[in-house]
Amino acid sequence: MAYKTRLLATALIAVSSAFPALADDDKIIVGFATAESGFMEAYDKPAQDAAMIRIDEINAAGGLLGKQIEVIKADTKTDRAEGAKAGLTVIDGGADLVVVSCDYDFGSPAALAAEDAGKISFFLCAESVKAGIQGVGPHSFSASVLAAVQGATMAEWAYNKKGARNFYRLLDTWTEYNKGICDGFDWMLPKLKDAKLVGQDTFKNEDASIAAQISRIKALPQEPDAIMLCTMMPGAVSAVKQIRAAGINAPILNGSSMDGSYWLSAVPDLTNFYVPVQGSIYGDDPNPDVSKFNAAYKAKTGSDPSSQYAYPGYVMIDVWAKAVERAGTTDADAVVAELEKMKNEPTIFGPRTFSAELHHQNTTKYEIIEVKDGKPGVVDSWTISEPVPLEALLK
Amino acid sequence: MSNATTVDTHALDSDKIAVRQPSRFSLAGRTIWTPLLLSLLLVAIAVITFMIGSRPFNQTVIDVFVRVILVVGLYVFIGNSGVMSFGHIAFTCLGAYAAAWLTINPAMKKISLPGLPEWLLATKLPYWQAAVLASLFAGVMALIFGRVLMRLSGIAASIATFAVLAMINAIYSNWESVTGATSSVVGIPIVRTIWPYMIAAVVAVFIAWAHAISRSGLALRAARDEPTAAAASGVDIPRERLVAFAVSGAIMGLGGALMAHSVGVVTPDTFYLGLTFTTLSMLVVGGMGSLSGGVIGVVLLSALIQALRWLEAGVPIGDSTFAIPKGLQEIALGIIMIVILALRPTGLMGNREVTLFRKKTK
Repeated sequence: MAYKTRLLATALIAVSSAFPALADDDKIIVGFATAESGFMEAYDKPAQDAAMIRIDEINAAGGLLGKQIEVIKADTKTDRAEGAKAGLTVIDGGADLVVVSCDYDFGSPAALAAEDAGKISFFLCAESVKAGIQGVGPHSFSASVLAAVQGATMAEWAYNKKGARNFYRLLDTWTEYNKGICDGFDWMLPKLKDAKLVGQDTFKNEDASIAAQISRIKALPQEPDAIMLCTMMPGAVSAVKQIRAAGINAPILNGSSMDGSYWLSAVPDLTNFYVPVQGSIYGDDPNPDVSKFNAAYKAKTGSDPSSQYAYPGYVMIDVWAKAVERAGTTDADAVVAELEKMKNEPTIFGPRTFSAELHHQNTTKYEIIEVKDGKPGVVDSWTISEPVPLEALLK
Repeated sequence: MSNATTVDTHALDSDKIAVRQPSRFSLAGRTIWTPLLLSLLLVAIAVITFMIGSRPFNQTVIDVFVRVILVVGLYVFIGNSGVMSFGHIAFTCLGAYAAAWLTINPAMKKISLPGLPEWLLATKLPYWQAAVLASLFAGVMALIFGRVLMRLSGIAASIATFAVLAMINAIYSNWESVTGATSSVVGIPIVRTIWPYMIAAVVAVFIAWAHAISRSGLALRAARDEPTAAAASGVDIPRERLVAFAVSGAIMGLGGALMAHSVGVVTPDTFYLGLTFTTLSMLVVGGMGSLSGGVIGVVLLSALIQALRWLEAGVPIGDSTFAIPKGLQEIALGIIMIVILALRPTGLMGNREVTLFRKKTK
């Protein structure tokens, strides 16, 4: 026992004395406290690969502030307690930027550790308002767009472009993210003249059958013009399948989590199905830079991104590096101040804005993906007429 | 550790029967070395950690201390009563949320947990006061549940404790305005110094020891080994089990509160099957019937997990790096646990405790 402890202690001393060598002045360190195993890996890995693409680009172009960016990693194992340790590990490794897991629940322990140490933390793709000032602290940001913006975007777009007036709202109460989509939808709907909610219902992601909810939709005097479906994988596929099998062909509006073609074979010939995305993975994005990125991603990982959730990783390094460049230092407070000055900062995947109240996107341009006869593709793009206010986000 | 010898606590029970009137604290005097040695081990770990000064390692050891508290809590009931409980993590959950309610900034609480009573919304206590209150709360809840559960025995009691876990989990996962349902509750002050955790672990060890040698603890162990004889000798088995259940509930609550402060986030799914089986397996590997087994089980298994993690991350040997495939840690841990149990079916310590002296023969 004692021998073992001594051995561990020696190993640790060796490791910790090696750290200061890393933290010297000719390098900038980005620490990834993300999941390399467990179910979150499926979400973290693509965004992290995308982040690496941007880091490689910056390094190839001469680095940041004339220094090369170096990456260190610690595995959270999709576990909260391990997440806190992973955060502390990369902080001890001298990380100037602490990148944490996609999901708020799994990323927050590492982000809180970074906040505690006065470091900047970025959630790879969290879409809850808590992933930032509200749930972590003033040095925390998220690289993605709020779930509420997705719901609001779909409502306003369907109203204007599809002539939808009678909406139906179906919420899967499983996660914060799902509720966020519907919160945005709820906020937007009263602003749309003549639009009304003809019914609403909830279900749980794990429900094998949503027959009761479907019968209530069928019982409406007329089929709604659009169904706002606030849900996510894996339960979403079964819900969509059941809705279509029941002969309800109304347009289904979704959050970004339904992006990707990997599940479409489960609902053959799906049509009239709409998803907002930050960029198209299908090779038809109006912005050629997105396709260029997809090619770089394929070269790095061997396949195209499986969903739009790879993109925020790229955006994250992009905006952070710009802020560091402008601040002339990696000092957390100076970089935060520069990030908060960003207003509609252009990125490949749409403009980004941060403020002293919100370190997240409460509006942005979304590409609208339509799935038609089982084939997804870009049909339109939409930016909501006004940003989702903080009150609607915090309810 | 190697120079410590072990002594069979069963024999102490029979001693007590043989000598009709032992002096008041003779049992305490003879067994005090067990908690002292265990505490010494914990203090030594804390001091080494402090001297190393690595933040992730510090956090790892904090985790170990929290687990020690939880496993000691399990031992107080399972070890002494012999009834397997799958529900104790429910009290950890109660303790963690109670700590969250008592320590989160009132302004933040009003937004995230608006359903709390007014006085609780306005309360903000230092973490250690909150931990004590959380522990009491969990203890009282254990007393209430225990009143009903402790009438059962054997597998029925085990399943009933599991039902308590499922029930508490269902309530805490759905009571949106009071527990935040499945969302993370944040804003709990994070305590990253190791000493409070060490002190709490030592306190838990001493409480467990004091309970085990108390009249109630001895009666309960007698009932565990010979229920019929114990009942015939006047031991009120449900009552003694209830005492152990409440004490262990309070210790579990303390562990829960500290767990909340170590990570800064609580969610109901943290306190469910995963933690239940981790802590139970640590107790079983260490030795269910022994306090030393509980503590040493945690320390050994944690050290093992940590060593395997380092191997996963890669250890530089010369110019090359040696690393085992990711995920092998869980598999290796499982195999090692099977081997330990195959060689020592009653766990590493069996029913024995660590102590300095052999039992004196009278």
